[in-house]
Amino acid sequence: MPPALATPVFSVSAVSKNYGERRVIDSVSFTVAAGQRLALTGPSGSGKTTLLNCLGGVDRPDSGEITLNGLRIDQLDSDGLARLRRQHVGTVFQFFHLLPTLTAEENIALPLHLLGVAAPARRLRVQESLERIGLAHRAAALPSQLSGGEQQRIAIARALIHRPNLILADEPTGNLDSVNGANILALLRELTDETHTALILVTHSEEAAAICQNRIHLRDGRIVDRT
Amino acid sequence: MNAPLLPFLLRHFTLRHWRLAPKQSALLVLILALGVAVFVAVRLANRAAVSSFSNFTDTLTGQSDWMIQSPTGSFPESVLPELRAGLGARAVHIIPLLEVSGATPPAADETTKLGRTTYTLLGVDLLGIRNLARLQDREFFPKGNDAFWDTFNRGPQVWVSPDYASTPPTEVALVIDDSIRVLPVAGLIPTAPDAPRAPATLMIADLEQLQKIAGKVGRISRVEFIVEAGPNLAQRRSEVRDVLQALALVSPNSSTSAEARWSVAAPGARREAAEAMTRAFSLNLTVLSLIALLTGLYLIFQALDGAVVRRRPEIAILRSLGVEERAIQRLWLAESALLGLLGGALGLLLGWAGAQLAVRGVAQTINALYYATTVASAQLTVEEVGLGLGLGVLAALVAGFWPAREAARTPPAQVLQRGVRPFAGARIGRSIGLGLGLIAAGIVCAQLPPVALAGGGRFPLAGYVAAFLWVFGGGIAAAFLLPPMARLARGFGERFVNVKIALSHLRQPSGRHRLAAAALVCAIGMTAGMTILVASFEQTMQGWVKRALQADLYISSAGAQSASAQNQISAATAQALIEHPSVARAGRLIVHFIDLDGISTTLSGADLEDPATRPDLPWIVAPRDGAIFDPARNANLVLVSESFTARFAVGVGATLRLPTPAGVRPVVVAGVFADYGNERGSILITRRQVQVWFGEDAVTNLALYVKPGVDSDALRAELLQRYPGLSIFTNAKLRDEVLRVFRQTFSITYALEVIGIAVAMTGLALTLISVLLDRRDELTTLRALGFRRQQIALAASVEGLAVSTCAVVTGLGLSLALGWLLIFVINKQSFGWTLSAALPVWPLLGLGAAVMATGWIVSYAVGLWGADLPADREE
Repeated sequence: MPPALATPVFSVSAVSKNYGERRVIDSVSFTVAAGQRLALTGPSGSGKTTLLNCLGGVDRPDSGEITLNGLRIDQLDSDGLARLRRQHVGTVFQFFHLLPTLTAEENIALPLHLLGVAAPARRLRVQESLERIGLAHRAAALPSQLSGGEQQRIAIARALIHRPNLILADEPTGNLDSVNGANILALLRELTDETHTALILVTHSEEAAAICQNRIHLRDGRIVDRT
Repeated sequence: MNAPLLPFLLRHFTLRHWRLAPKQSALLVLILALGVAVFVAVRLANRAAVSSFSNFTDTLTGQSDWMIQSPTGSFPESVLPELRAGLGARAVHIIPLLEVSGATPPAADETTKLGRTTYTLLGVDLLGIRNLARLQDREFFPKGNDAFWDTFNRGPQVWVSPDYASTPPTEVALVIDDSIRVLPVAGLIPTAPDAPRAPATLMIADLEQLQKIAGKVGRISRVEFIVEAGPNLAQRRSEVRDVLQALALVSPNSSTSAEARWSVAAPGARREAAEAMTRAFSLNLTVLSLIALLTGLYLIFQALDGAVVRRRPEIAILRSLGVEERAIQRLWLAESALLGLLGGALGLLLGWAGAQLAVRGVAQTINALYYATTVASAQLTVEEVGLGLGLGVLAALVAGFWPAREAARTPPAQVLQRGVRPFAGARIGRSIGLGLGLIAAGIVCAQLPPVALAGGGRFPLAGYVAAFLWVFGGGIAAAFLLPPMARLARGFGERFVNVKIALSHLRQPSGRHRLAAAALVCAIGMTAGMTILVASFEQTMQGWVKRALQADLYISSAGAQSASAQNQISAATAQALIEHPSVARAGRLIVHFIDLDGISTTLSGADLEDPATRPDLPWIVAPRDGAIFDPARNANLVLVSESFTARFAVGVGATLRLPTPAGVRPVVVAGVFADYGNERGSILITRRQVQVWFGEDAVTNLALYVKPGVDSDALRAELLQRYPGLSIFTNAKLRDEVLRVFRQTFSITYALEVIGIAVAMTGLALTLISVLLDRRDELTTLRALGFRRQQIALAASVEGLAVSTCAVVTGLGLSLALGWLLIFVINKQSFGWTLSAALPVWPLLGLGAAVMATGWIVSYAVGLWGADLPADREE
């Protein structure tokens, strides 16, 4: 582990989750430090997405502890979780999940809107972000007018615009061709390096896992390998 | 599609979904049931109210073969030997009948209310009908000849219906004309299993005794004829009819007359006439009842479409496995039909239950406007069951057509890759041109004349088509307000993120938004339009009542409780009242029911010559000169009411041939006045002439003007004490009572409107549920971005509020047009009444605010539900 990453911003301890009789996550524990990139890999049905949902506070574990910046997120109520996501977490989805009725810049600006950032500052940061991802000329386009790669770049910009401590990415290249996929991975690596943001990346792809310093392999909800 | 596939898919997909989501399925069935129930309830209530109008022969002897009726309402008994002689040796039973109405005496707290139960007393020759073979098993009298004569020796008595009381009371009190009569009850009207039961409001008395009680000695109302069974019955029946028709044209002095003295009618003619009289009223109510079903159609559409959205992945899988588009479409149509069948069945039950309540309101209206009826229980017939089920299935199929098409067109590859297409809605719903075209077509329809119904009724078919075209056109146009509204509110969006999200969806409204807006526009437009009509009617009525009611006291028989009651004040009582020392002057009115050209109407006589007491008539067409008020020139002049001109298609200058007991009398129409108390139409002539023609001095109504300083209330109390069989209203009380009856008449329409609005609101909720399900991915994103559930709910509520607001704006605009249509086209064509338009601003604004507030609250609740939708669990 690099010395700069020694302090964990995120820790998961003995987290388990059942759906009915079926245990989908079984006593999973790990930590992630600031700037660290961690890949969660495993076959379909191994519990990757469920674990990611629990980490982002969209779903709740049945047992175990999840701590972000010293805050037990498994004990937060619905509003507390929403606040946590708003301030500290950014999410990138496989299917981009841009709001279809908002333009590219409006999609990126949403987290700042939620945090109450004033309009001039908001516009400035969105402009910077668009330029950083190379899509300043597409600011006014609706998602339906953007290519898959462009949509995912907008989604990454939206995930980072409010400077979160942690980025959760669920198969961010799963819906892209290899060229666009490689570009997106490069962008994620560069941006997390620049902002010193932790990244947890759920993926099947070796190329995607390769941008991470660490990897956890899940099978049947259990960690079977850790590098 | 091979044959077994549809049942397989129904069993394994449709029914399993119903089992998995029983509440949603039950809600759909309930919505359909509600629409069908309102329709069925109104139909059953109408039918029950009309069916209480029964014939003597229906209930007592089975069907008579023929019946003769005088156009002036009664015959002298002297026609009976003439009829017997004319029929010769033919085996025909002649049954003379006298029909008299009476009402229960008012209780102490009821002296200022109209609408007590009216009873029909039927006088029949009880000795004569003993010979009827059909009555052999139904004996009015105890066994044994002594008992039979004892019954007659006891004086006037009545037999009551088993539905009035299962064990006969010892006596009944009834107001007949201006007296309260206490009549001993001899027993129950005998019944037979093959004949309908006598209605609860029918009482039977001996003809001669009833003639004495009612002061109609020597008079009969009609004669019924029963041809003895035997060979060549059909031929003998038609011979009897021919003889009766020939006799009608022979005047008593044996010369041939051009005018028939009576009409010969087949069995059931009186009931048919009653139905014809109320047909326009019934049709209007039925059309109103369809509002709920129409709004329900939108709702079923929404719900089925929502189900398509939820099951789209499953449909895609079926499609990818090789199930054809057509099979998917049939599956959805079959599901719709099944829902319709269940909804129709439940609707029949609910409708039957509702009819038991609604029949009271319908009966009260028929009582006030047409003829005496009573609250009979509403029965489900095979025809109604078929209609209810058919309506349910048809409505569900119409509503399910587009969702079925949408389901069939689900692109499997796209859906399986989760690229879900949002619902675009029917292409036609996205064309402003179509909306405006429908409105323009409605304008053309509004100019067309009504359809003529039998019995003088008119049905404004084109007017209703215009209303439906405007409702649909307005519904389509409403959604076009959403984008400009979103642009106007852009400033709010910059300040509040949830408003921004909501507005972004309204810039290009989806098919669902359009449908929700259209359903709300339909409900609001119709409700507000009816509110405008009722307000205009009330304003007109108030002005009319104020003008028409100028006297201090109004007096009539306490037995006159319906529009058809014939109870009168005797000449002696009327004279005594007029000569009371506190009375300065009096106006007298005589009302007779006549059949003019086979259509029932009223002939009234008033003191037109006396400027101090003649009614102050609100003119539609004022007389050209004062001839109608001049005793030297008014003998053959009449005034007619506005509804009369519409029913009989006549105007000023037309000649009417009035049937009177003194023969047919030609009269000329001199003017037209407004009369909102009588839908049959009325002819007004000088009282002097009516007295001459009818040979009666009794009056129907008295208007007393008291001397200065006399307390009207005290005088009323004094007169009531002395004449308990009279109904006496002070001016103020009568005005109040007229308006109370008026408001009661419209009470059923309010219930229909509330149901329409409730159905539309449920539609809005279902719309938002579908919208949020469609945007499940977006909700996941919003939560991932840190939106709180309240913020998500707030965004949904802004969306709901915007749809409601745009529906309220369009709906209220539409209601102005519908109000105009209802007042100046539909009402005018149905009832022939000119109303002055009123705009009830505060009730309309209240309705708009209530809809918007409800829209906001419902949408917020749906938004909270949407915010709690589980996150995607797929790996």
